[in-house]
Amino acid sequence: MAAVYVYGIVPADTPVPGDATGVGDPPAEVTTVRSGDIAALVSPIETAASLGRPEDMLAHQRVLDAVAAADPVLPLTFGAALTDADAVGRELLDAHHDEFAAALAELRGRAEYLVTARYVRDAVLGEVLREHPELAELRDAIAGRSEELTHQDRIRLGEGVNTAVAAKREADTRAVADLVTPHAVQAVVREPAHELDAARVAVLTDLDAEDDLTGSLAELAEDWRGRVEIRVRGPLAPYDFVATVR
Amino acid sequence: MTTAVQPQGGGGMLDRPSSSSLADVLDTILDKGLVIDAYVRVSLVGIELLTIDARVVVASVDTYLRFAEAVGRLNLEQDKETLPELVDDLNEGGAKSKTKGVIDAAGEKVRDTLGGGDRQRSRRGRKED
Repeated sequence: MAAVYVYGIVPADTPVPGDATGVGDPPAEVTTVRSGDIAALVSPIETAASLGRPEDMLAHQRVLDAVAAADPVLPLTFGAALTDADAVGRELLDAHHDEFAAALAELRGRAEYLVTARYVRDAVLGEVLREHPELAELRDAIAGRSEELTHQDRIRLGEGVNTAVAAKREADTRAVADLVTPHAVQAVVREPAHELDAARVAVLTDLDAEDDLTGSLAELAEDWRGRVEIRVRGPLAPYDFVATVR
Repeated sequence: MTTAVQPQGGGGMLDRPSSSSLADVLDTILDKGLVIDAYVRVSLVGIELLTIDARVVVASVDTYLRFAEAVGRLNLEQDKETLPELVDDLNEGGAKSKTKGVIDAAGEKVRDTLGGGDRQRSRRGRKED
């Protein structure tokens, strides 16, 4: 059975990015279904075809991010499909027309930038041992003894290190959040996804302010050189700032 | 991406990747964004399998043991005062290999060094030959 895969909601006049192909194998062509002032970014999909390959997920985000570089877009979570274009028009667009249009108006000229900072492992662990003599002592006490004998001690050491890293993460996340706030319409802290994450902050900002944002972050990256690596991805669709309110 | 945004030029310290990795994507599109009402959407094959929790459990015994092993490898000033041979060993071994065997070998050497007794002395002698 054929169905219509939906990527996101855009203003009705939004062009489909030319180089963005959709989900499916082979990748489907992305088009729009319009209704009033808004439109849905869609592509045809077979319900019997399996969806969820890495390529599909990358395609979903690529389509949305390509749009977000120039136009406002409300991203849908991966995997949304309706029966046909008519259902997209009536059940998705018409049913929520005004709230979607209002949200898009609010997002005009803005996009998300995702700032991720990752500790350089040995640098941060060195800091931890210098700042926590008791952990350094425990480490030295373990050194050279057999794994079996030191199992509990090593768990205790690692837990202490983890707690110390978490405290650093909290402080460094606050530093990143404070730094981006002047350039942000909104900022959201994401939970850490890795034990060496120093900060993950999603920033909704004016596209015009991108240089200011990345300029500030470049200064911080210079300050943290050798201890934290900072990455900025964007412009992205505002994934962290759009949610279905139940 | 067809973006008007230029990658950051000078400095070069700030990483500005132009595309997202799969890990980035999993973390972003599976649990963020608008959700279509369940009664409106059709089900797609494969989606049900996607109950992936993209988030890593940040604190676990595994994490602790990894941290413990990593700090065990660190070279700090204090090591050089008390355990010069171990440090030398780790400098060499740590750079070449991440296997546990290196640590074990180093540990054995320290046990030998600190163990006392004739047997220890003779083994040390052998290693220094």
